[in-house]
Amino acid sequence: MTVPRLGLPARPDRAARAPSRDWPLQRRRLVFAGGALLALAGALTASLMLGSNLISPLAVITRLADPAADVDAVVWGSRVPRTVLGLMVGFALGAAGAVMQGQTRNPLADPGIFGVSAGASLAVVLGVRLLGATSMLATLWCALVGAVVATVVVFLVAALGRGLSSPVPLAIAGTAVSTLFAAVTSFLVLTDQATLAAYRIWVVGSLSGRTLNGFGLAAACAVLGLVFAAANARSLNSLALGADMARGLGENLIGSRVIGLAAITLMTAGAVAVAGPIGFVGLTAPHLARVGVGSDHRWLIPMAGLAGAFVLLACDVIGRLLGGNGEVPVGVVLSVVGGVAFVLVVRRVRMAAL
Amino acid sequence: MTKPPAARGAATLLAALLAAATLTSCSGGSADPDESGEAGVSQYTGWTYTDDAGVTVDLDQRPTRIAAFTDYAIGLFSYGIEPVAIFGREDVATDRRLKDYDLSDVAIVGNNYGEIDLEALAAAQPDLIVTGIYPTDRDGTLSLEDPYYALADKEQQEQLAKIAPIVVIKVGGAGIDVIESLNALAVSLGASADAINQAKAAYDAAAAELTEAAAQSDLELTMIYGGADGIYLVKPMDEPTTELYTSLGVKFTDLAPDGDYYWDIYSWENAAQTMTGDVLLVFTEGYQEADLLAQPTFASHPALAAGQVYTWADAAFDYDSQAAQFEYLTTILRDSEKVA
Repeated sequence: MTVPRLGLPARPDRAARAPSRDWPLQRRRLVFAGGALLALAGALTASLMLGSNLISPLAVITRLADPAADVDAVVWGSRVPRTVLGLMVGFALGAAGAVMQGQTRNPLADPGIFGVSAGASLAVVLGVRLLGATSMLATLWCALVGAVVATVVVFLVAALGRGLSSPVPLAIAGTAVSTLFAAVTSFLVLTDQATLAAYRIWVVGSLSGRTLNGFGLAAACAVLGLVFAAANARSLNSLALGADMARGLGENLIGSRVIGLAAITLMTAGAVAVAGPIGFVGLTAPHLARVGVGSDHRWLIPMAGLAGAFVLLACDVIGRLLGGNGEVPVGVVLSVVGGVAFVLVVRRVRMAAL
Repeated sequence: MTKPPAARGAATLLAALLAAATLTSCSGGSADPDESGEAGVSQYTGWTYTDDAGVTVDLDQRPTRIAAFTDYAIGLFSYGIEPVAIFGREDVATDRRLKDYDLSDVAIVGNNYGEIDLEALAAAQPDLIVTGIYPTDRDGTLSLEDPYYALADKEQQEQLAKIAPIVVIKVGGAGIDVIESLNALAVSLGASADAINQAKAAYDAAAAELTEAAAQSDLELTMIYGGADGIYLVKPMDEPTTELYTSLGVKFTDLAPDGDYYWDIYSWENAAQTMTGDVLLVFTEGYQEADLLAQPTFASHPALAAGQVYTWADAAFDYDSQAAQFEYLTTILRDSEKVA
């Protein structure tokens, strides 16, 4: 075991990329990956076994084996869907966060920054207002389309300037478009009660009260995004050296931006569509992963996904156990637990250079 | 608002003369207590009112231009007092509770909780602003450090107070007390005793109907707000309206009368087993019948399966509004069957 090297003078920046020199990086990565998988398996089991309705683990197993025994649908109607959703949404948000932070070289970037959440929200509201689309599946399609459209708009706005080489214009365009969309969304919501009611139900980011309707579509979307993310990993490693250096290394900047944006949009949209906007996972998971596997995006992206799924599921389980007859919403647990974990990470390991 | 002392003296003199004239004109007629009450008010030069928060407002004359939160505006309207400005927590122009009243001369200065257009409010030149205050616990504790109901924060409250003095109706404890508080304010603002008595007659008749319907039925009503987190169950003795209906014999699901104030939350895993009612009263702002049916753990709830689901919107605390709620509940009780 290595002893944490607290109190030593800060190392020069380049060294910070490899979290610890005392341990061969490759071995450390494998150990971390194994640990992450084990932790995720634990969270998954806990998510099936534990809940605000106290059913014995044995009964849960019986009901899992025989759905007919699950008369009140607590296992198949609540725990299974939220566990599956938690895995998918957490993985997608964590991986999207890693690509996001790599693309913007901003450690505080979160998938919302390119207007994905704002675009999805606006589209959901427009769908309800103009088409009367309140079904789960219609909402999902609206969220997907809105997320993609928002990203394209952000990309075009940034590209109209000469802004694609630096991440800053993208982030600014994203913020501007997000704000505009949010304003239009509020206007639509505030001027129509029916829209407000439908929007209020969707906008609460939660794994509770959701079903697996439309899950296949959303998951397909996220998987496609993951493919783009994998294709983007090498470029992200070059981009970490700065846009000029990346170009010098033969990187096609526009191409890598487009692929990165596609990855972020599809993964976030898939997640947001089924669970509503959930914060903090996309921000925290990449940092947790970076502690374990360093900044090589070929490792970082999948590990951020695992970390995201673990964090989301674990926080959801904690929330279920805290509320007595009720539950503490996962978003609240995420901000408390995630916030504390985040501070620890930042304190222990200086914010990894991007 | 404050006149120079000389002017005030003149006003006092004038009022005294008028009072004397009124008394003289009355002396020959029947000694109607309401008329002598009128005389009593006009003898008094100013207008004094102590609201439910214990705040006393002193004005030189009875305020005639009233700005009010929708619920209290409805109450004042029903007694014949037309407000000059209304702010609501939902779109005032489309609020169905206001559909019987003419809003053409009323300035709508807010359509969302805590959002009040101060300039528009000031332009309406109110003499008095009416809103509510909710207790923070079962004992009726009022926290004056917190902003009043419908206001975003203390700063906004201070800005409102610069436009006109604010009085509040306390919405807590027994429902009849809230109604009487609103009535007292309406009377103080000039509502005629006739208007109130007439409304009370209709209210009493509706209350008798509801009492009878409740006595003939053993149905349990469950008042809920559904959301992604689960079901919020209103504690019937903490909400003044349900307290009022309970006092008439209506039975509500009351799982934990003690504990947290106002409502408890039950997760979707627990909801079906805990909600014991025969009829679901579903708040218009949360999950509706279709959303409840989409919850696998709740879809087979007996009341839901029997289609005994009714939307519920809180009504204002005046006789008319509550009489309408009595009639709605009477219909629900008569049309529903025991399922749980």
